[in-house]
Amino acid sequence: MKEILLACSSGMSTSLLVKKMEEEAENRGVDVRIWAVAQDKAVQELENADVLLIGPQMRFMKKKYAKTAEEAGTPLDVIDPVSYGRVDGKAVLDHALKLIDG
Amino acid sequence: MNTFMDKLENVLMPVADKLNNNRYLTALRDGFMIALPLIIFGSIFVVLANLPFLDLLIGEEAYATYQSALGPASAATLSIMGAFVIIGIGTKLTQSYDIEGIFGGVAAFAAFLILTPQTVDDVSGVIPTSVLGAEGMFVGIFTAFIAAELYRFFVQKDWTIKMPAGVPEAVSRSFSALIPITMTLSIFLVIRIIFSYTPFDTVQNFIYTIIQEPLTALGSGLPATIIAVLLIQVFWFFGLHGQIIINSVFDPIWYALNDENLQAFQAGGELPNIVTKQFIDTFLVGMGGSGMTLAVVIGIFLIGRSRQLKELGKLGGPPGIFNVNEPIIFGLPIIMNPLAIIPWLLTPVVITFITYFAMATGLVPKPAGIIVPWTTPVGLSGFLATGNAWQGAVLQVFNMAVVFLIWWPFLKILDKSYYESEKKSENDQAG
Repeated sequence: MKEILLACSSGMSTSLLVKKMEEEAENRGVDVRIWAVAQDKAVQELENADVLLIGPQMRFMKKKYAKTAEEAGTPLDVIDPVSYGRVDGKAVLDHALKLIDG
Repeated sequence: MNTFMDKLENVLMPVADKLNNNRYLTALRDGFMIALPLIIFGSIFVVLANLPFLDLLIGEEAYATYQSALGPASAATLSIMGAFVIIGIGTKLTQSYDIEGIFGGVAAFAAFLILTPQTVDDVSGVIPTSVLGAEGMFVGIFTAFIAAELYRFFVQKDWTIKMPAGVPEAVSRSFSALIPITMTLSIFLVIRIIFSYTPFDTVQNFIYTIIQEPLTALGSGLPATIIAVLLIQVFWFFGLHGQIIINSVFDPIWYALNDENLQAFQAGGELPNIVTKQFIDTFLVGMGGSGMTLAVVIGIFLIGRSRQLKELGKLGGPPGIFNVNEPIIFGLPIIMNPLAIIPWLLTPVVITFITYFAMATGLVPKPAGIIVPWTTPVGLSGFLATGNAWQGAVLQVFNMAVVFLIWWPFLKILDKSYYESEKKSENDQAG
């Protein structure tokens, strides 16, 4: 199972995305767990995740997560603003899977 | 235009980065986060204790009994929120050094109590709850910073008692905190004794006169509020979470102003402040999502012809009701959109003026200091924030209409350009 962690200011807007991504994953038959957390929880949750995606409005947090992510060997990236605005589950899932598979 | 935007973003990103990754501001923000559930719990009970017309319904006497029965709920949370903020900041700041946080948190609280006058009206052995609320907030924040720093300094110096192997983990941990806590709190005791020889008598008095009063006076004024609100909007325009960034600086002021109002509200007196945490969250920036975009969603439903906007309205509508609006900000898009920047920056300033003067003239009651969860829908949140006043809800609806009117021409242009390009691409495909 692939574990995808999303983080934004309070985990609200990313949780919209979680639903869309889950739908997309189910259609494709991909076994994933996707969950959204507030930015202050992201570091703690990082060890349970295969990838961390940050909401674009919180992209200044990337540097803060980068160290922990590198130590844990977890890839991380900022979600593309356009996909974020469209709540495009498909594009973000693709992005996440691509990062996991390196 | 683009190079100018790029240049501005190059300035803003490092600022956002610095503010958000600053150890102390992060601890401050996360410390408030810890206190927030308790503050909201207390707020709910203030609302319940002050339900409109209930006194007429059940009679004065029963109403008094009812109020005093609910009283402890807010007295134990909202009224002493400084205590939770202090423990929260102390814990989070200590944690940021990869040291177990809770000892830093309780050390901060104990340090604060050491600095606190422990007499009320010549009765000793009591702690005035007022200092645990707004009055003590600033001392609390500084104390938490210093106490947590001292604690981690002594821990990192390794001035600790080592237990032999085989002693249970929990026991050896509490012993390892012993010397750092003793050192930290002793320093605060010395500070207290020194201050007792000054004209200020206590540290509380000193900070209150020197820092807190001038700072809150500044923060409660219209100019500072407009600057803060504009900064939030500018950050958001570049797709950066403006509130998170600006609040970490302004929250202590806004919460302190809030608490002053709450105390006056509960005492049934005149509310001192217009600008408070609720003024910002419920009537300005956070109304219908950052930048008040729920009115934009309504605009989309009313005038949108392009598929792109209609689709966006459907996506952004439901979360917008609960003040979550990232789909609109990134989807319209508002970020980096030269057309959107005008209404984006103009509306909050106009709304700030309207709201401020509506409250200054007494047309709408001032915020009662009740913290309404930020996901509370427009209308209800204005009602609750003003201490169950219908005028608060009406003001929100009025403000939404103003936001809509300012956005209207811009939305129309945007919609038209989307519509035309959609038509063009359809024709291209057909041709």
